[in-house]
Amino acid sequence: MRTRLSHSPLCWAAVLLLSGAGTSAFAADYVDLRRIEPIHGDAAAGAAKAAVCAACHGPNGNAIVPMFPSLAGQRADYLYHRLAEFKAADPKAPYYAASPMPAQAAGLSDADMRNVAAYFAAQARTAAPAAPGNAKGETLYLEGDLARGIPACQGCHGADANGPAAQGNQYAAYPTLRGQHAPYLVTRLNNFRGNLPQYSSNDFIMHGVARTLDDDSIQAVASWLASLPPKEKH
Amino acid sequence: MSTSAHPRPSSPLTPGFSALSSCVPEQKRDSRFRLSEEQKQNRWIPAFAGMATMMLFSTAWADSGIGVDTWRGNKLDPTAGQASEACDARGTTWLAPLQRRSPTGNLYDCPNEAPLAHEIGEWLYYGVLQVGYIGTGDQGVAAWNRYADWRSDKAILSLLDAHFERPSDGSYVDVRASRISDEDQYYQAVFGKAGAYKVQAFVRDMPNILSTDARSIWNGVGTNNLTLPSSLTPGGSTPAQVAAASAAAPTMTLGVKRSKQGLSASTYLTPEWTAYVNLSDEQRKGTRPYGGPFFFAFAFEGPPFNLNDGGVNETIKPINDSTININGGLRYAGPEWRFDFSYTGSFYRDKYTSYNYQSPFKLTALPVIPGAIAAPLYQGQMSTEPDNNYHNFQATATRKIPWNGEISISASGGRMSQDDALIAPINCQGVFGIGLGNLQLGPQNPMLYDCNKWNTTDALSRKTADMRIDTSMFDARIVLQPTPQWTLRGDVKYDRQDYRNIYLAYNPLTGQYGYPSENGTQGSIVPGESGIWDPRTDPSALTRVRSLPLDIQTIDANFGADWKFSDKNTLSATLDYNRYEPSNRERSQIDASSVKLTWVNRSLDWLTLRVNYTYLKQTGNTYNFDPYEFTWSSSMPGYVPPATGTPAHTVDAMRKYDMSSRDENKIDVMATVMPRDDMTVSASVRGDWNSYDARIGRQAYDTVGATVQWEWQFATRSSISAYAAWDRSRLGLSNVQDQANGTGADPTLGGSNYALNGQWWATDAQRDWYGGFTLNHDIGRVRLDVNWNYLYSRGLTDYTYAGPTALAHLVGNEGPGPGGGAFPNMIYRVNSITIGATVPFSERVSLRLFDYYERGRINDWHYLGFDQGLVVGNRVYTDAGPQSYKQNLIGLLVNMKL
Repeated sequence: MRTRLSHSPLCWAAVLLLSGAGTSAFAADYVDLRRIEPIHGDAAAGAAKAAVCAACHGPNGNAIVPMFPSLAGQRADYLYHRLAEFKAADPKAPYYAASPMPAQAAGLSDADMRNVAAYFAAQARTAAPAAPGNAKGETLYLEGDLARGIPACQGCHGADANGPAAQGNQYAAYPTLRGQHAPYLVTRLNNFRGNLPQYSSNDFIMHGVARTLDDDSIQAVASWLASLPPKEKH
Repeated sequence: MSTSAHPRPSSPLTPGFSALSSCVPEQKRDSRFRLSEEQKQNRWIPAFAGMATMMLFSTAWADSGIGVDTWRGNKLDPTAGQASEACDARGTTWLAPLQRRSPTGNLYDCPNEAPLAHEIGEWLYYGVLQVGYIGTGDQGVAAWNRYADWRSDKAILSLLDAHFERPSDGSYVDVRASRISDEDQYYQAVFGKAGAYKVQAFVRDMPNILSTDARSIWNGVGTNNLTLPSSLTPGGSTPAQVAAASAAAPTMTLGVKRSKQGLSASTYLTPEWTAYVNLSDEQRKGTRPYGGPFFFAFAFEGPPFNLNDGGVNETIKPINDSTININGGLRYAGPEWRFDFSYTGSFYRDKYTSYNYQSPFKLTALPVIPGAIAAPLYQGQMSTEPDNNYHNFQATATRKIPWNGEISISASGGRMSQDDALIAPINCQGVFGIGLGNLQLGPQNPMLYDCNKWNTTDALSRKTADMRIDTSMFDARIVLQPTPQWTLRGDVKYDRQDYRNIYLAYNPLTGQYGYPSENGTQGSIVPGESGIWDPRTDPSALTRVRSLPLDIQTIDANFGADWKFSDKNTLSATLDYNRYEPSNRERSQIDASSVKLTWVNRSLDWLTLRVNYTYLKQTGNTYNFDPYEFTWSSSMPGYVPPATGTPAHTVDAMRKYDMSSRDENKIDVMATVMPRDDMTVSASVRGDWNSYDARIGRQAYDTVGATVQWEWQFATRSSISAYAAWDRSRLGLSNVQDQANGTGADPTLGGSNYALNGQWWATDAQRDWYGGFTLNHDIGRVRLDVNWNYLYSRGLTDYTYAGPTALAHLVGNEGPGPGGGAFPNMIYRVNSITIGATVPFSERVSLRLFDYYERGRINDWHYLGFDQGLVVGNRVYTDAGPQSYKQNLIGLLVNMKL
């Protein structure tokens, strides 16, 4: 039997809207760093909270042990979101379980993290012992390798490896790499190659990049970056 | 993203389709998979690997991008599920928070939400099954049901789309299907291996409803033999009897079902060489309204003859044909060279060569000759499209050259031919023409003809058409970019069409030339207008005896340069020269030269401004207003001009619009404004003014228009857009009525035959409005979509005339001097709105409820009065015309991700 339907479209929509009130169906499961606002912190206040950091990251954030990253002169937004990651992390998750950072960050308030980040960003990097350069690493960093699909690192981290030249909030949490310890960089790149961590949108950028790098390339880039002297602060 | 503000297709299952549709097929290949929650516990599929794999897929898909068989959908959902996909909340890239913009500043579409993939061994699969029910409350309106079968409430398979792939080697299988009814359905299967091969097969049925309010006075609709019912006497019924038969006939639907099957394959022979072939066969079956001439005797309805005979019949043509299309070739893509060698063929076959029909009305000879008696004809015929073949071979070579340039050379040769069996000139029995006192054949009746000597193919000069057109083309292009600031372009193209045969209408049985006009009825009503020239008995008859070959050669050369004189400004100039050399036309040479200037400005970050200006001037050699003399009997040996001279074929001041000298000025101004990163406003104005050098013929054709479009992607999964457009065109033409009913010999405008008081002017003014609005937004768990489209089109034809002799028919209130008037407005208005909501019940299951409302209002004066009956005097109409309508389609669909 043919049924004549002359229902109002608005009526149907209203019924559905009423039935659908609630939370979003599928929330994002990562922190989107593409839409952040730059942080502001009190470096002086951060100094007090950062005292404990020196055990691993050295005086004023200049790490002695090369497995630990130097924090001095690092970009504040990067440091803040890295601390936020550790604070939010499940300490039993394999990636974080081996790190003392989740426990260290657990007690920090949001203001603490901003202040600590501001503090280390304001510190001067001390020159590391002279290290030999690495031509392959320099080429990969500055030019990439088109044939292997390796993008040039400088596109995001700057031609001088001191952070991106591009302006925009979405670049605020891209770290400076200049003069960073090579073993630490190797560890980070290896983790990225294994799709870890999966905390922020920036991690997903590095997953794709690191997957194009073999062990030699990772070592070469890390060595070249570690050989760069600190940039003088202006 | 679509940026033009033309009428948008409205469709119930395509929320946002109107504003955000153009990239949809590509978005199907969105690279990032999602796994279901339980799978996330096990493994995260590398997104980058997926991206790389799917990029390879895109390459393979692109191999078959030839022809029209690359996408399948239906009117319910032209995008086959693509437009209703939600945006991926992750955006397009991790590097930027918003959608990127095109070079002109428009926002690209968001990528679709990644599919939920399963694993079976090495294979991944994902897909969607969409089933449900639609209710239409169909009122049987053709416009509503055109290209869709929404004639009844029904359960439907809205979409089945299943995709399987094996990342390890790039193998994939894709199956897609939709079924609304037996007449509205498609099924497609694709399998292949990225970088290796691809095979695709499909079947598709689509209805094309042409009329749902037709009434036929004939039996045998759908066959090639239309006969009158017993209530009517062929050749002997009165208009009242025919009108009664029409009114008693049930309404019927006329339409054509298109069924198409296709198979295509492509394979990489080497990384550089690709071979491809595409085959398709489309059958069309059904009926459509068509003509049925039996002489336009209504010209004599009024005084002084007061005749009511002849017949203009809107018959019903049977459609039963097939078109096979073949395309195949080899492609090479290397670092320096590219080659493409291809063949394209098309083969049309019609089951019927012709169809017959009976005409109900009697014939009466014009009483201008004492004793004139019309032959009692009642049988007519109409040929169908002839079977024909098309072949074309093309080769293209492209090479990179210094200065960052590229040169490309193409050559092709083709042949269009048809050699179908010709039908007899007439299908009558007995005699046709006019008898003087009786209908006995013999010298006493020179205007009477024996059907038996014309209703056979022996009456033709040959039995088959044997017609052919050979085509050839050569094209050379070059592009150079000697510096980043300069780009130089050049193109020279030569094109030619040669007609290889001609037909002379000669009847070897009678020694006469020509073709009985109007199924023999014109010569049975009007003495001397049989359409037949006889050098012995009627040497002054003027009629067509030859076909008209229209060979043409075209040379097109253009040169252009783009100069980027600053980072934000580009100027372009293109000079174009066209020379047309047609045969047997009013001019043997036409030259069209144009200059096009373009300025693109991006000085402001938030604005892209484009301005184009074109000036074109078309001239030619001497205009011969009557180049067709050789096709008429007046060119034959033995032709004797009548005492008053051979009638002029047309007026000497006539300038046909494609042959006429012409000046054209065209300007476009387009602005794309980016007030925010997530918002775009586009606006354009355009004008095109054509002035023709014609006192008789087309004199002017001007168009102006404006569009504005706004789009705001206010959240990752939400967007809103609106558009409005307006355009207006004006076509002006003039003609002149001959004063001697086609017998005057003087072609001069202002002369005795084409007197100036017989001149008239008509203006066809068209005005269109378009508007639309689209919203896609998540409200809580519900995804809401709204899509509204509006179209208003108005056509107005008005006319003026110098004097009443300009009019073919007088209604009686014309004064002695100039006058004018207008036909009623032709108005076409369509309002459509879709409101839909999708409610997710789980990660895989959602429910979609939508309502699609469409209202069409059509005013077409051609069909005025048909509510009183379809028979007007001796005119029989079958299609009662387009109907205004209000229709509502409501649907409930369950959407399951497989």
